[in-house]
Amino acid sequence: MALRPAPSRTGPPGVGRATPTELPAAPVRALGAVGGVPAGRGVVEGDEIPYQPWAAARKKENVDDWLTRDPEIKCYLPGIPRATYMPYPFQILQSTNTILIAYEFAGATRTIHMEDAGSSPSDTWMGWSRGHWEGDTLVVDVTSFNDQTWFDRAGNFHSDALHVIERYTPVSPYHLMYEATIEDPKVFTRPWKISLPLYRRFEKDAAVLEYKCVEFVEELLYGQVGIRDPGADQTHK
Amino acid sequence: MNRVSLMCIGALAPAMLLVWLLPASTAAQDPAPAESKQAANTWTPSRTPWGDPDLQGVWRYEATMPLERPRNLAGKALLTDEEVAQREAVERDQEAKRLAGEEGTAVGRQSVAESPIRGNEYNSFWQDHGRPRKVYNRTSLIVEPPDGRLPFTPDAQKAEARSAARYGVGPYESYLDPDTGERCLTDGVTALMWQGPNGGHNRIVQSPGYVTILHEEYRDRRIIPVDGRPHGSIRQWFGDAVARWDGNTLVVDTLNFADKTNYEWASVWTRPSETLHMVERFTRSDADTIEYEITVEDPTTFTKPWKAVIPITKLPDKTEIYEYACHEGNYAMANLLSGARAEREGR
Repeated sequence: MALRPAPSRTGPPGVGRATPTELPAAPVRALGAVGGVPAGRGVVEGDEIPYQPWAAARKKENVDDWLTRDPEIKCYLPGIPRATYMPYPFQILQSTNTILIAYEFAGATRTIHMEDAGSSPSDTWMGWSRGHWEGDTLVVDVTSFNDQTWFDRAGNFHSDALHVIERYTPVSPYHLMYEATIEDPKVFTRPWKISLPLYRRFEKDAAVLEYKCVEFVEELLYGQVGIRDPGADQTHK
Repeated sequence: MNRVSLMCIGALAPAMLLVWLLPASTAAQDPAPAESKQAANTWTPSRTPWGDPDLQGVWRYEATMPLERPRNLAGKALLTDEEVAQREAVERDQEAKRLAGEEGTAVGRQSVAESPIRGNEYNSFWQDHGRPRKVYNRTSLIVEPPDGRLPFTPDAQKAEARSAARYGVGPYESYLDPDTGERCLTDGVTALMWQGPNGGHNRIVQSPGYVTILHEEYRDRRIIPVDGRPHGSIRQWFGDAVARWDGNTLVVDTLNFADKTNYEWASVWTRPSETLHMVERFTRSDADTIEYEITVEDPTTFTKPWKAVIPITKLPDKTEIYEYACHEGNYAMANLLSGARAEREGR
């Protein structure tokens, strides 16, 4: 049955018609259910991220301006720990002196140095990872981040002073417990911690495939025919 | 030319690190003599703890042979000892000039003819030559067909001429106009193991059942199963690779490439199509060399298969692959498109 065109609406809102409410941004609504971000219980121990006051305000701005600010939307390297719990698989490739973690999203790969590899010569998106074993737990110390990555789609962020200590502990043939302690004295009032289980993909021939997401974001970033004034502000709100 | 430099910055900025780091650690080594390749097959590689031949490390193509035999050497597959000695002297001279801070043509290196990938003719600042290149007596990496040239189909030849004419010139009206490298996608899988001095390092990491190759430029990555599984059916930019061991040789067979022939490619011979079939053989011929053999069959681009034999050099143990955040820093794209618009509006 064809839907009849909507009549134009007149008269004061909230009287004979629906009260205006805060809706998701128009480009998100255009995607239907795919554009929504369903609720989750969260993985932060104690439920609260201890932002400094200025940073709490910035986090709220990030929420309001999600579509223009979230680096995931632009296919940028996702950073750590975000890469761990994005809805894409990753593969751990374990050699003797080196452990690679190959993420599907944006083709990101981390090298975890199990021997002394010095320090990073510059800031990075994915950090500089040094690992060691504590019993059965792989402990990875990650430093040398830039301030460009986020923790999630809710605008949680950090500065270039971020320091992450990850712990990967096998708890069954099909599960790892993952913990990350997050320090950033420029943004938080104290270190805080997340923990979550990681579930192994064990279907036959499970594989991390290519996801060259650049192809999907060029129009968003550079405009339909690729010509957009870089100074022009986009309004998604 | 300004537009050329703008484009380079987005794709190359991450490679700068290597310009700083490598010469210091590697410059002291002498180039290997031309005869070093003769040692093949007498050297036994060490093995991983699970028993596979060990190919691990950071590797790079560091020799002077171009992909195709230069036209002026038609019919001449091998150089004489004298010619090899002359070229070694040229390499040492160019190295000295680069270390003295000279640039581009002042260094004396020709560009495209000596560089397998268009775009590697940037000035020395952007390039990581590391140390004098090794001089071999062969005049091309391609060994089949015997003329040492890519057997392009007439259509592919036209596409290559078009690409050469557009490179660094445009038009640039859309993000689809720059080539796949300028878009930070890839320069193509067939050249990954031996791309020249711009982020041409490859780290090979082995783990039980897998060989993984990380290529620095564009952070290109291949996770290759070596566990007997058959080819999958998903088409990808880098195809579907499976590998097996043939004695001490890793044999990688890659099919199911996605058709990306409608994109602009800096060098048409590196583009994937659905008919591409690539077979690679990695054989460690001595402690510091992998003899890499690649056979490319693709009736969309070539009239017959071609094969190249390429010596790849192991870099010192502490050599790192660094993060290549190309798309993240691709200011070149916005600047290129803005510049094209300004030009069109006559500003």
